[in-house]
Amino acid sequence: MNDATIGTWSYRAGDWFAVFGSGTTLLLPESERERVIDLWAQVDGGAAFTQVLDGLLTSGLSSLPGFVLVETSEGGPTRVLLRGEGVRATLTTDAETVDLDGAAATTWVERTVDGVTALSVIVGDDAGGPDFAIDGGLVRVSRIDLPPAGQLAPAPAEAPPVEAPPAEAPPAEAPAVEVPPAETGPIQAEDPLGPPPAAPPEPPPAPAHMAPWPEPEGEPEDQQGAPPETPAADAGPDAEPNTADMPLSPPPPPPTPPSFDDVPPPPAPEPGPWGDGGFAETAPPPPPPAPAGDSDHDGHTQIGVSPGAEGPEQPGIPGQPMAPAVTRPVAKLIISSGETVDVDRVVLIGRAPEARRFSSTDQPKLVTVPSPMHEISSTHIEVRPGSGADHGSAVVTDMGSTNGTVLVQPGLPPEDLKPGIAVQLIPGAIINLGDGLTIQVARP
Amino acid sequence: MTGVELHHGAATDVGTVREINEDAFLAEPPVFVVADGMGGHDRGDVASRIVVEEFARLARTGYDPRRGPEAISATLRASQARIGEYDARQRAQGAEDFQAGTTAVVALLIEDDDQPKWLLANVGDSRIYRFNQGVLEQVSVDHSVVQELVDAGVITEADAAVHPERHIITRALGGHDVVDADYFVLPLAAAERLILCSDGVSGMIDDDTICAIMRATGDPRDAADKVVAAAVAAGGRDNATAVVVDVVGWAEDTPYDSQQMRLSLEQKLGALP
Repeated sequence: MNDATIGTWSYRAGDWFAVFGSGTTLLLPESERERVIDLWAQVDGGAAFTQVLDGLLTSGLSSLPGFVLVETSEGGPTRVLLRGEGVRATLTTDAETVDLDGAAATTWVERTVDGVTALSVIVGDDAGGPDFAIDGGLVRVSRIDLPPAGQLAPAPAEAPPVEAPPAEAPPAEAPAVEVPPAETGPIQAEDPLGPPPAAPPEPPPAPAHMAPWPEPEGEPEDQQGAPPETPAADAGPDAEPNTADMPLSPPPPPPTPPSFDDVPPPPAPEPGPWGDGGFAETAPPPPPPAPAGDSDHDGHTQIGVSPGAEGPEQPGIPGQPMAPAVTRPVAKLIISSGETVDVDRVVLIGRAPEARRFSSTDQPKLVTVPSPMHEISSTHIEVRPGSGADHGSAVVTDMGSTNGTVLVQPGLPPEDLKPGIAVQLIPGAIINLGDGLTIQVARP
Repeated sequence: MTGVELHHGAATDVGTVREINEDAFLAEPPVFVVADGMGGHDRGDVASRIVVEEFARLARTGYDPRRGPEAISATLRASQARIGEYDARQRAQGAEDFQAGTTAVVALLIEDDDQPKWLLANVGDSRIYRFNQGVLEQVSVDHSVVQELVDAGVITEADAAVHPERHIITRALGGHDVVDADYFVLPLAAAERLILCSDGVSGMIDDDTICAIMRATGDPRDAADKVVAAAVAAGGRDNATAVVVDVVGWAEDTPYDSQQMRLSLEQKLGALP
């Protein structure tokens, strides 16, 4: 593991968000989830240090309790910026050791050091624990080290001993083989409620980083799908296939889980008009529960265990319905017929819209629009608050309308919406449903 | 909610095999319910009757038409609690593992977007169909093992009808778990007729047969009778119950206007300014 590729860090699990890019690494506290989401794309896209810093400071320094921004380059100097109480960095060169404390300045502490041989950043309490290797992605950390800390955890703590030999065998000739177990490690090794499943396992020779946000479908698969090196996941108490998405959704809200609910199951890429993930139950059922022996069940309806396991998973007070999901509006729809609608939940718009398969706490808004020519379908489009990469903005989906929907985003050519495919809306966008009816998207 | 008139009919039959009818129904406009009790010796008839009693209470006391899902959700919870109390009494008398259960499908008239609409709710494998302009469509989605297999693409609809586990449902009232229904909202104009039925109907006759009966029968009372009679005639292996509700006197307020359509076409072609 010591000969891991340049650019490979190690980290210890914690509360802070860490985004590892190709030359830039960004750490932000737990409260700065929105910023992390915004900056993720930049860092992962290989944005320069100054660009990331610009992005970080757009909404001002006063609202930013802490951050760490690190620029590393092969052969070049290492630049570190830190701010915040309990944020510390140690840079070691052949000649000296430089300790930096983020609480030492009112704005931030900046230091550029040449010939750095080791760099570690500690945010909050370093609770110890295993170090995991990472060379790109988004994880939650308490400490990061470059080069990777001495003893990288080869595998999750509760991994069966069977796993040790393969983890030790290949390192010399194939560091590539070794990284994935370490990266998938924290996901299985720790309380599934704790760290976010933010860093999708990445193929280690990572010239082009995968974009984790659109990708999260892959992850439940990894948790349940029994790749050969993770037998522990299947044996674990939380590893029932059909509950795979359950431990990922409750609080503390990690960045990706909402998208798990929205992403249709992989085998159904083209949902029907109502097949959108928001309504459909997503977990593919395992074999049905044990039948009751005799072959004629007519008239003997029985209660089985739901393969979807949808009932018992609701958190909250037993016997009480869940509190409505409080979402602040992410956009305002100004409809040419005169109505204005806030997008704080699912909004269904059409000539005579229908809502299908919702729960008592998430009743969609139905917005009826006039369509004297009947060019607009009864349920024409859906607009809802986005999740995952679309978090913070609205997304529009054509619900299989007869005559289609044209979307004009600012600065882009008109686009025909494909039925069932959600598209993120930029403020200023115009949605044309036909029959002269347009919907303007504005900030909430 | 003025201007909406509901005509309804309901029918139930114990069938040819069962000794007691565990189905129950309610038709007290604007509340309609079909419940299918489960497990003969566990007195499913009591569970289904409890659900109907609770919704009858809702129909009598009234509800806020703009908060329909809350009204149904609260009524289902009340039913669940009463079934639990009944279970506890039976267990106290020595019936170990006693657990009554029931499905429920509910249709409730609500107001949404200042329009009267149908709010439909479903727990279990009883069904709600809508019949509109000669076309029958199942609105509710069964909470059953076979439905989930169909959704997952493991089996086809045709397989589901003969699947050995077709009577195992994945959600029901009764038991310990908190149960919420799936809800649906339909504009009245999109559901000229609603059919609520137990699986003793939908399991014995197929959708085409139900559709043919609906097309041939104008009066909802006759339609309910005929559907149940057809299910019994097809074997009657389970209790069969149907409630049919017609919306009368509610016309879609945006009728297709050929005159305006022609004018618009001329506008588009530039014949008019």
